[in-house]
Amino acid sequence: MRALVIEDDKQLRQLIAGYLEGDGFVVDTAADGEQGMYMVEEFPVDVAIIDLGLPKISGIEIIRNARRKSRAFPIMILTARDGWQNKVEGLEAGADDYLVKPFHKEELLARTRALLRRSGGWSQPQLESGSFVLDTAGKVVTVDGHRVELTSFEYRVLEFLMMHAGEVVSKTTLVEHLYREDEERDSNVIEVFIRRLRAKLDPGATLNPIATLRGSGYRWNLPRG
Amino acid sequence: MMALRRWRAAVARRAAGMSLSARLLLAASCVLVVFMVAAAAGLEQAFIQSALQSERDRSQGLVYALLAAAESQPGAGLSVPLGALPDPRLARPQSGLEAVIFNSRGNAVWRSPNLAGPLPPVTAPSVGNSLLEQTDKRFVFSYGVRWHAEHERAHRYTVTLLEDDTAYEAQLAVYRHTLWSSLATAALTLVILQFLLLRWSLAPLRRLAAEVRRIESGDRHEIRGHYPRELTTLARNLNDLIRNGRTHLARYRNALGDLAHSLKTPLALLRALAEDEAMPEALRRRMDEPVTRIQYITDYQLRRAAAAAHGVLAAPVDIHELTDKVLSALAKVYTERHFELRNAVDEGLQFRVDEGDLYEIVGNLADNACKWARHVVMVSATRRPGTTLVVEDDGPGFPADTDRLLTRGVRADTRVAGQGIGLATVADIVLPGGGDIELGRSATLGGARVVVRWPA
Repeated sequence: MRALVIEDDKQLRQLIAGYLEGDGFVVDTAADGEQGMYMVEEFPVDVAIIDLGLPKISGIEIIRNARRKSRAFPIMILTARDGWQNKVEGLEAGADDYLVKPFHKEELLARTRALLRRSGGWSQPQLESGSFVLDTAGKVVTVDGHRVELTSFEYRVLEFLMMHAGEVVSKTTLVEHLYREDEERDSNVIEVFIRRLRAKLDPGATLNPIATLRGSGYRWNLPRG
Repeated sequence: MMALRRWRAAVARRAAGMSLSARLLLAASCVLVVFMVAAAAGLEQAFIQSALQSERDRSQGLVYALLAAAESQPGAGLSVPLGALPDPRLARPQSGLEAVIFNSRGNAVWRSPNLAGPLPPVTAPSVGNSLLEQTDKRFVFSYGVRWHAEHERAHRYTVTLLEDDTAYEAQLAVYRHTLWSSLATAALTLVILQFLLLRWSLAPLRRLAAEVRRIESGDRHEIRGHYPRELTTLARNLNDLIRNGRTHLARYRNALGDLAHSLKTPLALLRALAEDEAMPEALRRRMDEPVTRIQYITDYQLRRAAAAAHGVLAAPVDIHELTDKVLSALAKVYTERHFELRNAVDEGLQFRVDEGDLYEIVGNLADNACKWARHVVMVSATRRPGTTLVVEDDGPGFPADTDRLLTRGVRADTRVAGQGIGLATVADIVLPGGGDIELGRSATLGGARVVVRWPA
């Protein structure tokens, strides 16, 4: 999952980015409205955390612009002005939730995860699909109640696919949303991870949870719920 | 003395509260009445003088005619022969005109044939002079003469005419009636004209007052009508004042917002430090408490400072639209709960309450309701008789000791998050302005109900 953090205070920006990275996100950061506006339009983003009081271009303006450009990822506004008028304005502009400074780490992570789940069409913190259960809070995967040990990258691939259950996800998309800019990107590696995931989740090759669509990508094949 | 002073003070108080048109009308009417009465008295006096003068002239003529016809009988004095009476009325009984001649001793030497009964007391004027008196419903005209008859020494006589004054009085009564009625008509016409004139010339003032009232009641943002030159400046200044008040508040709010922003970002960092697992546990525990306190204090004081007083000049706010915005924002935040967020506020209803405060009140109350509701949250509002906002839900309702939830004076740093802080925020905004919050049970939904009332 790729998160975008737009916050002008350097320390706070690094702090939030650190929280999210610790939770398995790939994080991009912007220090002002202008940079933020560009990243919102051009970067692959799964969730954005936007401060309302930004230099150059206001957070509200960035949100409006994102929605105008049909960028549909969930947006959480971060505000120091805890007046309701500000919250309403932000939500009206297209944000999905708000967080008032100062906040607790757990609250930030829980709300961010909830936003992602909601935008993926999941209503519970446990993504249940067939006999597979992915607990987004504990980052634990079980099959028929038995825990499956995954590496952190394998977990991230699985989470992304399940979040987008039913949708075709290309290898490029997976690379874009799961790798940091500075990491070496090789879409062939994705094939390796998918193979390993299949082996761990479905050792008997009977359930076929991840379908390969030749030339276009992968799809989580089981229904939600 | 004291009583007089008190009475004067009371009158002054009553007068101070009198409307401008009432003052003008009263003053003008008083002047008019004084003027009319003085004019009537003067006219009446002039009429009486001229009537008396003509009475005197006529009587004088008759006296001359009598004297012309008079003869002096030696020893008996002056008399007028019956056949030579200058006016036939002197012979006819009850004619209203009688004559008598007195000698110098005051004895009647001759009476007109129709004169019977006692004679009135007569003041004798000096020779050659006349005297007109009005006594006992009669005019008494006397004229002094010195009569030189042949072979006799001159005698002094007084010729007196007694004339009934009924005709004169009747004439005077008719004149008085005509005078007073025409003056009264004139006065009444003038007062009515004056009233209309005042209404017309004071109309702009009344219009201005009505506009100010409409601004007060929230139907208008500013004074818009065209006014006479004298009032244009006043209207413009009022508009400037209203606008300044609003922009001042907005600037003040922005400054507070900036302050909040610059305080809270470092506060968020401190909070993170207090939660950083790399820090020693003991230090983290010791940091947590002061950071939490700073957070509550800044929250509380900033909110209190930003809450506008219940201003007369607050722009009217469309409460239906505002409720819509807040509810659709909440619908987003609580999207997974699938609430029915019902906006029962009449469309177009306007509140004359500061917009920021209203957002705060509706937002906090509706958010609280969402935290406890099962399916439904409803916001309704009325403006008449009083400005009232009601937020209710179908949750479990308030606990028994509702007072504690609103308690003011509870120190900001001891407040707990959750239901309490939202209600306390609303209380901080509403109570200082003379408003009122009532917590109860919703009759329609069965859950909690919060009623906020603003002073009329």
